[in-house]
Amino acid sequence: MQPPTSLTDQTLTIVADASAVISITASARADLICSAIPNRLVVSEVVVSELDSGRSKGHSNAVQLQKLIDRNLVEVATMGDEAEGHFESLVVGSARNTLDDGEAATIACALEIDGIPLLDERKARRICNQRYPKLSYGCTVDIFAHPEVEKTLGTADLAFAVLTALKESRMRVLPHHLDWVINLIGLENAAECNSLPRAVRMQASNQI
Amino acid sequence: MTATALETTYPTDAGDRLRKARGNANFTQQEAADNIGIARTTLVAIEKGRRRIQINELRRLAKLYGVSVNSLLRREAVHVELVPRFRKLSDAVDNAVNEAIEIMSCLAKAEVELENLLGIKRAKNYPPERPILRGDVKAQAEHDALELRRWLGLGDAPLTDIVTLLEMEMGVRVYIRRVNSRISGLFAFDDELGPCILLNANHSKERRAQSAAHECGHLVSTRRKPEILCKDKIISSREERYADAFGMAFLTPPRAVMHKFQEVTAGSDRLTRRHVIALAYIFGVPREAMVHRLEELGLASKGTWDWFEASGGIAEQHVKQVLGDLAASDGQVADADRPTTLRLNILAAEAYRQELLSEGQLADLLGLGRIELREILDDLEIEGQEADAAPNLLN
Repeated sequence: MQPPTSLTDQTLTIVADASAVISITASARADLICSAIPNRLVVSEVVVSELDSGRSKGHSNAVQLQKLIDRNLVEVATMGDEAEGHFESLVVGSARNTLDDGEAATIACALEIDGIPLLDERKARRICNQRYPKLSYGCTVDIFAHPEVEKTLGTADLAFAVLTALKESRMRVLPHHLDWVINLIGLENAAECNSLPRAVRMQASNQI
Repeated sequence: MTATALETTYPTDAGDRLRKARGNANFTQQEAADNIGIARTTLVAIEKGRRRIQINELRRLAKLYGVSVNSLLRREAVHVELVPRFRKLSDAVDNAVNEAIEIMSCLAKAEVELENLLGIKRAKNYPPERPILRGDVKAQAEHDALELRRWLGLGDAPLTDIVTLLEMEMGVRVYIRRVNSRISGLFAFDDELGPCILLNANHSKERRAQSAAHECGHLVSTRRKPEILCKDKIISSREERYADAFGMAFLTPPRAVMHKFQEVTAGSDRLTRRHVIALAYIFGVPREAMVHRLEELGLASKGTWDWFEASGGIAEQHVKQVLGDLAASDGQVADADRPTTLRLNILAAEAYRQELLSEGQLADLLGLGRIELREILDDLEIEGQEADAAPNLLN
């Protein structure tokens, strides 16, 4: 099945939100995945701090991310004046119209460097559509569904990586990726995957 | 030049929010100003609302205080300073107590913000205040406890669930969480949060009821003063003696105890373990507290509890023999083992479903990791079609 990825332009810098970092690092194939993606991969310094604060609770995502940074597979982006202006507009205001610092910094950095942010978050995507209609965005599954990632991992290992990310990090799967994910991991795994919607799990279970 | 968000939507109480955040993080104005490289007078002006903070200053302050910029300046965010108020109680606040205060503060703030966002109005039917007067403090406490029972329409009946009573009938926010075993309970009152009580899930249900009733005594008598109830705390102040006496009178009203004592001990000329177990179960209090109450009410001679202790105490196997399966259930502990409370989970899921708060905002608000939050949201099935196809609620 042709994977529906939004990451078709390899000249664009991809800006990963905490959600994407957590799922990629939970996949047990983060090195290979990040090496395979031809685009430049960055995370905002704010996201790095957010994940760092989880270290005290025993979350290992920050450690995994640091390894990717040390190997130059991921770069850390600092907000410039333009990004800081966008950041400000995304964190100050009513709850409905603002985002958490990490989510806001991801969008702000992407706007500053003409990059493509990875957003799994419905509200973040809604705010982007309203305020920055010209900004294209992707999501975490786009990374896994990238043709270069499948070429590097092979289908079986890619299925393992996706299933691990689903199980270990409860990776978010947007509706347009559900068929691809189920086809990749198989009906039996899909039926038992709590991070997929119940209706999808039941449907998979009925088809076994 | 376009006005920035800080210029157009700067909350009028932003300075106050920053001051509270600094207090919670335990920094002086000088320390905070030095840390972010501004003059103390500048920070004073910002906190007093005389100068608007710049985004770069705000980011540095948020980092220093260990909070997000969004949580500082999100319009609906709730800002209270429970921690500094407890800290003023001096030496009683060590790391374990501080952690317990943080837990209560975080849960209460999150609950209030979520209620506000979802338009949920919580009843503020707090019981009437009864300041402690001169004279016999115990007599006042007993009187006020029985008066509160009348106010609530309880009569002399034993209470089966004081936590629900506090929550539903008195508008108290009660949290049962696992904290250091030395801590029995915390009480605080804040205008925005209302009365809040934290009870220790590591303690038995009966012990928690006793702590809850004690804290209820503080709600009635010294509402504006935060309180930390510690195990084996020597009850010395009038306020503490009042709260202790209030708690016992509230849970074990004299007439009810006398009545049940007569029923339970009918035909016997001795007070046995079985009697104590049955009475403690009926009133939902620890066995030791029950025996002391019997001594106090002249139903058992002074030193009865000491005799039980010297004679091998009352073991759990005795309790099981007398109560059987009745002894086992304690659903509140299961809830305490969740990352947050069931109610908060439901409120959080609804706020997420309505796109009022994002995953990052909720994780920050509830003090959870992203994966823990996802587990909660997945378990409540808010993303799936199930919620979309569920029956509508009737108006």
